[in-house]
Amino acid sequence: MAEIKPTKVIDARGSFCPGPLMEMIKAYKQGKIGDVISVYSSDSGTKKDAPEWIKKSGNELIGVFDRNGYFEIMMRKTK
Amino acid sequence: MSDQKSVLILGDGAAGTIMANKIRFHSNPSEIDVKVIGNSRRHYFKPDGVQIPLGFKDYRRSVKPTESLFNYGVNFIRGEVSKIDVDNTSVSTADGKKFSYDYLIIATGNRFTPEDIPGYDKGAKHFYDLDASLDLKKTLSTFKGGKIIVGQASVPIQCPPAPYEFSLQLEKYLRLKGLREKTEIHYIYPLNRVFTIPNVSTYIEKLFEERGIIVHKMFNVDTVDAENKKLNSIEGETLDYDLLVLVPPHRGQKVITDSGLADESGYIDVDRNHLNYKDFDNVFVVGDATNLPVSKAGATAHFESEYLANRIVNETNGNAYYESYDGDVACTTVTGGNEAITLYFSYTKPPRAQFQSKTDYFFKWTSADTYFSAMVRGIM
Repeated sequence: MAEIKPTKVIDARGSFCPGPLMEMIKAYKQGKIGDVISVYSSDSGTKKDAPEWIKKSGNELIGVFDRNGYFEIMMRKTK
Repeated sequence: MSDQKSVLILGDGAAGTIMANKIRFHSNPSEIDVKVIGNSRRHYFKPDGVQIPLGFKDYRRSVKPTESLFNYGVNFIRGEVSKIDVDNTSVSTADGKKFSYDYLIIATGNRFTPEDIPGYDKGAKHFYDLDASLDLKKTLSTFKGGKIIVGQASVPIQCPPAPYEFSLQLEKYLRLKGLREKTEIHYIYPLNRVFTIPNVSTYIEKLFEERGIIVHKMFNVDTVDAENKKLNSIEGETLDYDLLVLVPPHRGQKVITDSGLADESGYIDVDRNHLNYKDFDNVFVVGDATNLPVSKAGATAHFESEYLANRIVNETNGNAYYESYDGDVACTTVTGGNEAITLYFSYTKPPRAQFQSKTDYFFKWTSADTYFSAMVRGIM
């Protein structure tokens, strides 16, 4: 898979639920169709909440990636 | 006396007043001068905002004149802070005065920003300040049934449990008024549950189910269409309403952003255990003004003041002080009948929603009296 470059990266490591998800939603509101948003989070709740929100809002979940000591959630704004 | 240290506190709400009184209570005025800059005329016990619109409490028990709450020896200065310059230990007010300090405590709290949600001002009511609570009470007094939506317009908000507490209390109110059969209560929440903390959420969701409160999860408010009485979510859902009770969006104070202490959210990043701003060991932030992952609540300010007032008093006296703030919060919410639940938690200990009890209900019912007579005075 070709590497996908995010349009916006949010480093929400150290922030607790619901902080990282709310940051992602804020970026989604401000973004445009086709934007790729990446959120770095160390909060385990976000790993579940964020993909659920992406699905409910009808956007595309590109992936949830385990990084070194945190994880990255990547989404594409499709609507 | 040349050795006297000066503590300057910005903000006259719960956090600022508790901090000032606690430092004054534990120190001698010849050792520490305590000044508070604030511009409010009245000090409102905000947790009563849930009860006041429903007629369960008389608002007059929930308000005191601001100046009457400071302990003897606290210097209250009425003014509006216009600039905070931590590099030069200087604070300016809108009327042109300048203040310096040895210790600065920022306790400037939140402001409501309804302009963040298009249509909010025309379409929504709330219970987060006294005027709004009384306005909502008036609206409810003529309510004849229909569809009520309760929720919050954004995150973070003060007193995070208040929307679910209000929903449960509203259900009781409607039963007492004989309007329950004619009214649907809809509760919206931004996450895929009914409260941030999963085990508390499960507990509250069960209460909602028992009382017929309809839940809409992952509903993040986008706009309010006041003319057609519709609430639109970012996720693309639309709900009709007859009455919309929506906690307004919050931000920190504008002067915080304008002074370069925080981004546009207005909330200041601080050390989570020591409450310092960046590497300034004489600048602290308490209460709702912080960006800490704890509830924005008076109880948080109370626990923060336990640590910070003692630290400043000990440092001033030349004593070592090794304690820290560990994220302690306590929160009591009425659950609809003559019962309440209390949640205790910290950074490392999640809360347990143990059970509803009449003791907690009594505690909640008398909390304004406890607050005004002891907590805000810094003696507990």
